[in-house]
Amino acid sequence: MSALLEMTGVRKRYGGVQALDGASLTALRGEVHALLGPNGSGKSTLDKTLAGTVVPDSGEIRIDGAQARIGGPRDAHALGVAAVYQQLSIVGDLTVTQNVVLGLEPARRSGFLDHRAARDRAATALERFAAAFSGRLPLDRPAASLRPGEQQIVEVAKALARDPRILVLDEATASLHKEQVEVLFEVVRELRAAGVLVVFTSHRLDEVFALCDRATVLRNGRTVATVDLSSTSEDALVRLMVAAPRPEPASPPEAPHRASAGTSAAAHGAREAPVRGGTAEPGAVALEVRGLTTDRLRDVDFTVRAGEVLGLGGLQGQGQSELLLALFGAARITAGDVLLDGEALPLTSPARAARAGVALVPGDRARQGMFASRPIQENLSLASMRRRARMKLALSAPAERRAARSMVERLGIKIGSLNDPVATLSGGNQQKVVIGKWLLDRPRVVLLDDPAKGVDVAAKEEIYAIIRGLAAEGAVVILNSSDNRELTELSDRVLVLFEGAVAEELTAAAITENRLVSSALRLAPGETL
Amino acid sequence: MSAPTVETPRRALAWRPGPVALAGAVAVVLVIAGELVSPGFAGYGQLVNLMRVAAFLGVIAIGQTIVIIAGGGGVDLSVGKVATFAAIIGSRVMAGDDANIVPAVALALLVSAGIGLVNGLGVTLLRIPPFVMTLGMIGVVQGLILAYTGGQASGRAAPALTSLVNGRIVFDLPGLLFLWLLLGLLAVWLLRRTTFGWNLYAVGANRTAAELTGVRPGRTLVLAYVLSATFAGLAGILLLGYTESVFLDLADQYMLPSVAAVVIGGTLLAGGIGGYAGTAVGAIVLTVLQGLLTTLDIGGAWRTVVNGVVLLVLLSLYGRQRRLRS
Repeated sequence: MSALLEMTGVRKRYGGVQALDGASLTALRGEVHALLGPNGSGKSTLDKTLAGTVVPDSGEIRIDGAQARIGGPRDAHALGVAAVYQQLSIVGDLTVTQNVVLGLEPARRSGFLDHRAARDRAATALERFAAAFSGRLPLDRPAASLRPGEQQIVEVAKALARDPRILVLDEATASLHKEQVEVLFEVVRELRAAGVLVVFTSHRLDEVFALCDRATVLRNGRTVATVDLSSTSEDALVRLMVAAPRPEPASPPEAPHRASAGTSAAAHGAREAPVRGGTAEPGAVALEVRGLTTDRLRDVDFTVRAGEVLGLGGLQGQGQSELLLALFGAARITAGDVLLDGEALPLTSPARAARAGVALVPGDRARQGMFASRPIQENLSLASMRRRARMKLALSAPAERRAARSMVERLGIKIGSLNDPVATLSGGNQQKVVIGKWLLDRPRVVLLDDPAKGVDVAAKEEIYAIIRGLAAEGAVVILNSSDNRELTELSDRVLVLFEGAVAEELTAAAITENRLVSSALRLAPGETL
Repeated sequence: MSAPTVETPRRALAWRPGPVALAGAVAVVLVIAGELVSPGFAGYGQLVNLMRVAAFLGVIAIGQTIVIIAGGGGVDLSVGKVATFAAIIGSRVMAGDDANIVPAVALALLVSAGIGLVNGLGVTLLRIPPFVMTLGMIGVVQGLILAYTGGQASGRAAPALTSLVNGRIVFDLPGLLFLWLLLGLLAVWLLRRTTFGWNLYAVGANRTAAELTGVRPGRTLVLAYVLSATFAGLAGILLLGYTESVFLDLADQYMLPSVAAVVIGGTLLAGGIGGYAGTAVGAIVLTVLQGLLTTLDIGGAWRTVVNGVVLLVLLSLYGRQRRLRS
């Protein structure tokens, strides 16, 4: 059989990150093809390349043997490619019908919209999902009034209304209930029977095995293998996704990573102990989290000792960022307790959490962490200036300058003048400013959400050194990272999260990249929320 | 005016004039043009007079600057009406007697601050867009004015207030200019040297990041609107001292010029960037322009056109500057 889709040598670079490094994908008509890989392996980028929302730097895409130029979503549509992502593209104020036909509204000859035809078309697209809506199709309801799972279904229907030859489902099942997943799978099987190619990405491996025929595994932006799922075991699949292609012995081969950290000579590849540069024995339990529950978290329990680095692992988007936001008072906590040194932390607002000694270095620096147009001085002062201000109001310019300078020196931030906007700095130096503003506040608990993401290698090492230093000074450090190597290098313990709950706790020698990946992927999905 | 150079980052090699310098240059050009067209326009007495007119606008625009820096579409359209109301209250309570100055000013400012508080709570708690909230507030205050006065303003400025505002102190300069200078310095201090000011810039530049840095954006915003109304009330009191008796729309016409002065001064309507030095220059530019148009005897319609054109030319210049910088 000839391939319907052939992608070869696809490259895409985002700033300093090579997201795709010559990836390829060959898939057939009438098959459900899984796209798998650990965090940052490039599967989403490859999906988006196909759907036209990302334009690759180089590479070739052939559909039905003909070279395809996909410069944007419109090109993709014209070629019969439709995509559904976890993030919805639903317009909440429009009705379900209007959403489904968005961009291909049927018009009468007069040029006016043909509402009846639109409704019919939407009804046809949604009909196959009737079971997911408990019977009645909500064609005329505003999309925003639907539940998240139903919105996701509408999103899929919208893609199907385009009659695609190739349908991309990127984590499209994440917000669905079990029954809705079944309905979706039925539809996907019908599409397969009709000759459609479905490219399927999911973090739930059991779904992949239940639905897909073949799988292509990506790692570091490259295609590692394409396998037939009927003759591949889950173990074998996970092994393909983790770093070492050879069968994994116990765990020692991973240990040298820690030593290769470079900056800390103290971390010499010891196997048993959670060795980290400069850190003494962690102290007594400082932070205690019991039954923490929010919209996105279920019953999270853990403790962290002073001077300990607790890593958060797992696939991206399993509640790690939400956990950090909740501990900073920035997410509504519906149940559970958080104690610092035995006393309840006031987590009703970030301002109260900050005053109680909690600091958050958020995951999205530009949106959540810095004030791009404001001077470096203010960016550094903001979190701690009330400590130095007279009557909490009057600032002394020399005192603020001294504080900012001390942090610039301590963290080795490369700046021109303190009065330059922070946007003029490189990414790594910007991130150091965001970290530095909290260090000036001398926090007891430091929450870091992927702090070294998107910064260059040298800055990465420096940020690692800062994290080690914080722990050495006795702070409680909680580190979320999408980079498993980072977790192995820095963490004393790692909590692997899956769908908002702690799935596994790894300690000491068990913290290896292989264990992290397999733990993140191999869990039984169990019931959804 | 020389404020700290925080909002105009300078590169060693390519210094370009910022909005404040540009607006200042425009003011100078306008004065020279006035002198050429009508000798005597730039005379000392005439310039002092222009500055005196600019002072009222300058004081009203202090609050406007603060609210606009706070971002999120922040603007206070009710400043003119609030100033009028403050003058009316002040006039009635003073009733021309020096002994009543303190309670009169206190009451006027308290009422103003209260109006600002309602504006602030509407914008933060009820999430009403500032434009709509403060526009609606104009109607509310107008109603309060009618209820309070019964349609007829009464009372009179206390003589001490009048002599403070109009009396010549040194170099034949009226007290008003020194009061403006004082209030202007207070504004610059508030913005540049207080936790409130830095929080305000942070909220304007990136509200989400401000909240995640432990700033309380809601509190900062409410305070911004309270300050805006309070400075407007102060301007109303100064106007009362100047005119001695009030009328029912005394300061209403300052609504749009107060926004224009802020924008001409280089403060970004999007928030997070700007300062009071620029606004003060903006108030002077607008006033000199008015003086020039009066001298040229240009009628109302064309006056509005010229005003608009000057504003657009300046803004397009600033846009160019920002692009060159980045």
